[in-house]
Amino acid sequence: MAAKIDEIPEDVIYPEVMEAPRYSCALAGAYSTAVGIYGAVPILHSGLGCGIGQLFGQFYAGGQNAGGPQGGTSTPCSGLVEEHVIFGGEDKLRRLIKSSIELMQGDLYAVLSGCVPSLTGDDVESVVKEFREQVPIINVKTAGFLGNSYEGYELFFEAVIDQLLKELPIKKGLVNVFGVVPYQHIWWKGNLRAIKEDLRKLGLEANIIFTEFSGLENLIKIPAAELNIVLSPWNGLRVAKKLQERFNTPFITLPGVPVGPKQTTRLIREVSQALYLPAEPVEELIAREERHSYRFEEYFGDVMILAFPQPYFSVVADSGTAVGITQFLTNEVGYLPDKVIIADGMPEENREMILRELSENLECIIKPDVIFEQDSHLIRENLKRGHSLVLLASSLEWPIASESGAIIHITVSFPSFNRLILDQNYAGYRGGLRLMEDIVSKYCGPL
Amino acid sequence: MASNDAHNLVEPGINLNAPTCPNREQRAHGINVWYGQASQLLVEAREGKLQARDRDFQQTSGCALNFYLAVRLNTIRDAAVIYHAPVGCSASSLGYRELYRHVPVSLGRPENYDLHWITTNIQENDVVYGAGNKLRYAIREAERRYSPKAIFILTSCTSGVIGEDIEGAVNELQPYISAKIVPVHCEGVRSRLVQTGYDAFWHGVLKYLVKKPEKKQTDLINVASMLSYTWQDRLEIKRILGKVGLRPNFVPEFAAVDQFEQLSEAAVTAPLCPTYTDYLSKGLEQEYGVPYFLYPSPMGIRNTDEWLRKIGEFTGKESEVEKVIEEEHKIWQPKIDAIREQFLRLKGNGEKLTVLGSLGQGRLLAQLPFFEEIGLSSPAAMSQDFDNLILDEVEHLIGTVGDFKILINTFQAAEQAHVTRDLDPDIALTCPFQGCSFKREKGLTRIHSLRADAHPRSTQSGYTGAVACASFLLQSWTSKSFQKTMLAKTADSYKDWWYQQPNPLHYLKREV
Repeated sequence: MAAKIDEIPEDVIYPEVMEAPRYSCALAGAYSTAVGIYGAVPILHSGLGCGIGQLFGQFYAGGQNAGGPQGGTSTPCSGLVEEHVIFGGEDKLRRLIKSSIELMQGDLYAVLSGCVPSLTGDDVESVVKEFREQVPIINVKTAGFLGNSYEGYELFFEAVIDQLLKELPIKKGLVNVFGVVPYQHIWWKGNLRAIKEDLRKLGLEANIIFTEFSGLENLIKIPAAELNIVLSPWNGLRVAKKLQERFNTPFITLPGVPVGPKQTTRLIREVSQALYLPAEPVEELIAREERHSYRFEEYFGDVMILAFPQPYFSVVADSGTAVGITQFLTNEVGYLPDKVIIADGMPEENREMILRELSENLECIIKPDVIFEQDSHLIRENLKRGHSLVLLASSLEWPIASESGAIIHITVSFPSFNRLILDQNYAGYRGGLRLMEDIVSKYCGPL
Repeated sequence: MASNDAHNLVEPGINLNAPTCPNREQRAHGINVWYGQASQLLVEAREGKLQARDRDFQQTSGCALNFYLAVRLNTIRDAAVIYHAPVGCSASSLGYRELYRHVPVSLGRPENYDLHWITTNIQENDVVYGAGNKLRYAIREAERRYSPKAIFILTSCTSGVIGEDIEGAVNELQPYISAKIVPVHCEGVRSRLVQTGYDAFWHGVLKYLVKKPEKKQTDLINVASMLSYTWQDRLEIKRILGKVGLRPNFVPEFAAVDQFEQLSEAAVTAPLCPTYTDYLSKGLEQEYGVPYFLYPSPMGIRNTDEWLRKIGEFTGKESEVEKVIEEEHKIWQPKIDAIREQFLRLKGNGEKLTVLGSLGQGRLLAQLPFFEEIGLSSPAAMSQDFDNLILDEVEHLIGTVGDFKILINTFQAAEQAHVTRDLDPDIALTCPFQGCSFKREKGLTRIHSLRADAHPRSTQSGYTGAVACASFLLQSWTSKSFQKTMLAKTADSYKDWWYQQPNPLHYLKREV
């Protein structure tokens, strides 16, 4: 049949209409954030499929992780259907919150409202208010159409700041870490643990909020921090700015979670400067950590140089992961950056930092093409025009890696259906070692 | 006694002039909450008393779009799927490029295939101004990019509530588009029951994709196969049908569009899961005279025998089928008997091991006789949903295996945990969407593999499947270390009182 499609007059182009963007919706991001806080019980005020859709599309996709005792099919949900569209879902929600408090083990209840109550105009706040005296509870408006998973993270913390936090005296040495979005940043658990550990060596107590049984306590102590550290060029930035306005907490921003010694040293120096820590012990710490990490890097020297020196590589990832991996491989291991595709939909106004990090801050004559693209079809077309042997991307690229000539594919970003990620990570001084273990293991063999 | 076909119990006929199917609630009094004896359920159902009831406590469990359609429609090989929805409704579709990729080409998977989906990514301003132009753009983009043979449009709560005119867009664009455009009305808010999604999909298939038969293919057997049936199940069904000179036409997953077009040419539509296949089977009979049967599914030796015999009747191959059954029994029955022996010895006191299983209505009907065959007893069964489409079959089932308890609920994890704790079966089967109910002292394994699994161990259908599944269950009994450790070392989702009170439906709303 002759294609007659060209006979339709072309009108507006909608770039947000795309194949398989690598994130879910605002509800999913807020839901992930809630599930990342141990002891928080998410209560979905939504259709019945919203939670299970995110179990598949956010939790399983985020490194094959289950939802835990409060996530997945354990999550209370109001299950809105047509009658609630017509008559409202407030009563249903009221009964659900009451029963959830009775039944579910939890310290904090987070009501997350999806598309339907937002469209029908349910007065969720007035329902939530009835329970505020009884338990810690927050109301987060997270209609899916408000944005993506990253937006959901910001919306969750904005609700926490507005509804839960109170001014506290500053606690010396306490710093909060923001910008790591549970499940969406697939290394979230291990990354946060590694960063906490590196900051502990500096004498600091890092409040990583997630993955600790003191979840509610961790939220409540956010205002007591001396400094907020944002480990992303854009995620958590709104949270840090809001905390600065409300509690005067200063913040610093890094382009991503640091991978390997050079980036981790930069984090340590920036944090130390922001907190006016005495230089000498900081430099001693840096020297000690670097010496040890690089001594370990010597171990992969032979196999890497013999088998696979200076390969071109490409990255498809969220902005922070892309910067961390690209800088480590380029600046410390001699890999040559071909394409860096930033697929998280970061806003235009934050892109300058990324472009600088991926040009000026790369110690290599070859600079990568930096492409901001979220459409998986266009990402694929773009990769076909490249010439990388190593492709560090998501599990979406696993079946198509060979199209672009890549012989090694490693999942480093969302979605990660082909990789179970529990505690592993590429963060901190020793994170680069683990990245090299993963890459080199794909091609090493006997002499 | 009223049969399934009684008009007060099941709406007769399928109206393809309508944009979509009726909901299962309307069509067959579908429910997703009930607990008690199966015989009592049957009495209430026959009296037309089944009715959807609300719970005061409910857990997320799936909608018409996001239980099944969003995960698996993307596997139709030369089609494209458009989600007319906010971005989160299609996140569960992100595995599309990997699905089936692990199936070796040597096992019959086509080497080259490519799957595609697009989201219209409805945003806040679209909610205000409408998203019709984005949908039109998405249809054109799908055609330009992928040159598909069919474009499925899956709707969402948001597209439904803001009143998007899907048919308008389809009718306007179809003359310009080579691909057949198939709208599927799977707005989550339309129904409490996830099976409404199946019917909505088949409605679109019947209305837009199935062609008038050019010729009858007397050896072609339609088999609607969903994600819980593995690649090995397909191979087994292909094998046993092949022995009598018949070919399966597996739809919808991983099918090509022409396989849908030919559904009207088949000799018969046979079930794997009756509740899943019902609407398609009835539609094909009504529109094209393709006969169907819905029971039994080919799970277990006897069920498979009967399944084959039914197909034999419809294709005039009764004697060939009997010969195959005899041959297969010689090979597989001794193996089943050996497993049965082992199961019967496990308790040491002559008692049978108890198992708690099922998932949907299809497995409910198929599993219980199979468990009996391999020497297990089932004190109860769990089913996602229940409707009047299977009343005769449940009656037959009670006649075969005796009365049993039945919990109807769609992944209500707290209720399932309660029933699992209360009945304390020797082996609990999980989906695993049952929250903490996997943490226990006794046996635990999966109900099914849920993936395009090509491993022989995961087979459940036909004769080889009966043996594989039976030994899989036997193997599950040998170690309980995971579930015991998790029970001892991790927290439960619910407070203690939940398990101390007797009623799993504690939160069923009393007033109707």
